[in-house]
Amino acid sequence: MTDAQRGPGAGTAVIEAQDLRKRYGPVQAVDGVSFQVQRGEIFGMLGPNGAGKTTTVEMLEGLRKPDGGQALVLGIDVAREPDRLKERIGVQLQTAALYPNLTVTEVIDLFRSFYRQRRPTRELIAALDLTERKDALTKVLSGGQRQRLSVALALINDPELIFLDEPTTGMDPAARRSLWDLVLILKERGITVLLTTHYMEEAEQLCDRIAIMDHGKILEMGTVKDLVERRFQELSIRFDAVAGLDDDRLGALPAVTRVVHEDGEVALYTGDVAATIGGLLVATGELSQEPQNLAVRRATLEDVFLDLTGRALRD
Amino acid sequence: MSALRALTVANIRSFVRDRAAIFWTLAFPILFVVLFGSIFSGNDATSFQVGWVDEDGTPGAGQLRSGFAGTGIVELTDGSREALLEQMRQGDLDAIVVVPAGVGQALDSATSGEPPATPVTLVVFTDPSQQTQSTTIQQIVSQVVAATNQVLSGRPPVLALETQSLQTDDISPAAYFVPSILAMALMQLGVFAAIPLVEQREKLILKRLSATPLRRWTLVGSNILMRLLIALVQSVLIVSIGALLFGVTIVGSIALVAGFIVLGSVTFISIGYVIASFAKTEESANSLTSVVQFPLMFLSGIFFPIEFMPDFLQPVAAVMPLTYLGDALRQVMVGGAPYAPLPIDALVLGAWLVGSFLISARFFRWQ
Repeated sequence: MTDAQRGPGAGTAVIEAQDLRKRYGPVQAVDGVSFQVQRGEIFGMLGPNGAGKTTTVEMLEGLRKPDGGQALVLGIDVAREPDRLKERIGVQLQTAALYPNLTVTEVIDLFRSFYRQRRPTRELIAALDLTERKDALTKVLSGGQRQRLSVALALINDPELIFLDEPTTGMDPAARRSLWDLVLILKERGITVLLTTHYMEEAEQLCDRIAIMDHGKILEMGTVKDLVERRFQELSIRFDAVAGLDDDRLGALPAVTRVVHEDGEVALYTGDVAATIGGLLVATGELSQEPQNLAVRRATLEDVFLDLTGRALRD
Repeated sequence: MSALRALTVANIRSFVRDRAAIFWTLAFPILFVVLFGSIFSGNDATSFQVGWVDEDGTPGAGQLRSGFAGTGIVELTDGSREALLEQMRQGDLDAIVVVPAGVGQALDSATSGEPPATPVTLVVFTDPSQQTQSTTIQQIVSQVVAATNQVLSGRPPVLALETQSLQTDDISPAAYFVPSILAMALMQLGVFAAIPLVEQREKLILKRLSATPLRRWTLVGSNILMRLLIALVQSVLIVSIGALLFGVTIVGSIALVAGFIVLGSVTFISIGYVIASFAKTEESANSLTSVVQFPLMFLSGIFFPIEFMPDFLQPVAAVMPLTYLGDALRQVMVGGAPYAPLPIDALVLGAWLVGSFLISARFFRWQ
C-alpha cells in the first residue's frame, strides 16, 4: 500500500520503510510494509500478537534481514550497515531479560562498554528512578523496575531514535502511567520514538501517529483523530432501553442513521446530537419516562480497530 | 572499560554468584581429590623393593650389600643393570643401587690405611614421580654410604653417591588420579559453557546484545577468557591439594602443563558450544551436557588405565578427547606412562577443537 506513505517531505524522515517483507516458513509475517516516521514523532504500531509488529521493528533495528524491501533508518541502509546504525539507536526488546545475577549498576556499566558515545551511569539510574535499586540484582526487580532498567539501557548512547517493543506489557496501571510520562519526556528532548503496543489506550494517549497492523500488513495509518473520523463521522447516543420505544420509532428520530442494541443498551448513531436528543426526550416524555444513563460518545480507536479487523484487541 | 573486559567481568560475576556453578566446577573436583586420596593413600609400602647391581663382585661389595639389607626396610633383588632397569621401568622395583667395579679394591686399600685419591661412586636410580619413596630410598643409601665412610674414617671419603632418575610405569594411585581429576574438571568446565549460553539465548540476552554494536567475536572471546580464568583457579586448587595432601608434585614442565590445560579447556568449551547449538532450552542443555559428560568421563580411562577396560570399549576410549587430555596431563605432571605420545595427544585434542568449532559455527543460533 503505497498510499500509506504520508507525512511531510522525506528530508525529515528518521525511518523510511519501503515494502518490507519477511517470511517464516509458511507464515508471511510481514507482507509489504511501508511507512515513514518523522523526527521528534512518537509513532505507534498497534495490532494483536502475531500481527508482524515485532518482526517489522526488528528489521528496522538491524536484528533481522528482510526478504524484500528496504529500510533507511537515520539515513543508514539497515541491511548494509547494521553496526553503524546500532551505535546510534536505542533498543528495548519485548520481554528481553537481563543478566539475572548482575546488579542494576553492573548491567548499565556493562552495556555502556559497548558504545562509543555514552551517558553517565548515575545520570541514567536517576533518570529512570532506579537510584534506590541500583545495587539490587536484576532478578529481584519488579516488572516495572525491570522495564525501566531496560529503557535505561536503550538510552545509554543518547540515541536520536528509540524503539520500544511493547514497553508496558505486564505492568500494573501505575507503572504503565509512569512509563508513559517517561516516553513523553523523551519526546520533549527531541527523541523520535517508535513503539509497538496492543493497548488501545496507550496508542491513544502517547502516539502522534498510529499504524494499525494485522496479518503482516498496515491496514490504516494516521493520527487517532484522522483514523476515527475517516471511518466514523457520526457520534453515538447511548441510554438504557426504554419499554414501549421500538426501533421504528427510534429510527424515525431526527438525524438518526442507525439503531444498535448492545446488552440492554440502545445506541443511536447520529449526525446531529442536539436534534436527536431533543426528539428522544419528546418521545420518552410521551410515555411519561426519561432515558436513563444517557451518554454521548465519539467512536474510539477500538471501534476503528473492530471495524478494520472484525475482531476486538485482547489485552 | 573495553567491551571484552567488561563482558568477562560480568560473566565472572554471574558465575561466582551462581552457587550451583561454583559447586560443580570448584568444590566437586576438590571433593573428588580428597575422597580418592583418602581411599588410596593407605597403602604406604613398609619395605622398598631395591635392585642390587654388583659390578664389582668382591667380598667388600658383599659387605656393603649386607649393610643395606641390614637396614630392614629394603628388600634387595640381585641382577644385571639392564635386567633390573627393565624391571624397574615396569614398576617391579622402587629403586636400583649400582655398585661399580673397584669398590672392593677401594675398601681394601682404605682399611689398609691408603685411601684412593678419588672416591668410588655408587649410582642410585629412583623415580621422582614417587616423591616420598624416592627421597626415603636416597636417604637410606646415603646413610649407609656415610656410615661406611665414617667406619673407614678415610679422608677423602672412599664412597660417593650419585642419584639418577628413571621414569616408571608404576605411579601411585594418587599420582594417577590427580591429573585425571584435573582433566575431568576442565572437561566439565568446558562442557558446562553450554548452559549459560543457552540460558542467555532463551532469555533473549544474546538477542539484546546483538542490538548493540558489540561484535560477536568479543562475546565469544569473553566467554572463553572467563572459562580459562576459572580453569586456572581450578588447576591451582587441584594441584595444590594433590601436593599438600598426597605429595603429588609436578615433575614435568609447568609451561607444558599450562599449555595442555589451555588446549583442553578450549576444546571442551567448543564442545559446549556444540551442545548449545543443538539444545533449544535450558533444560535440554542440562540433560544434553549430562549425556555428553558421563560417557566422556567413564569411557576415557581417566579413572583407570584403558587396558583394564573391556575389549569392546577400548576403541571407544581411543577416540574420546578426555582420554588424551588425561594422558597428556598425567605424562607431563607426574611422569605417567604414555597412552599416546604427547604430540598425538595435542593433535587429537586439536582435531576435536577444530571439529566442534566448525559444527558450532555452522549450527549455533544467536536467537
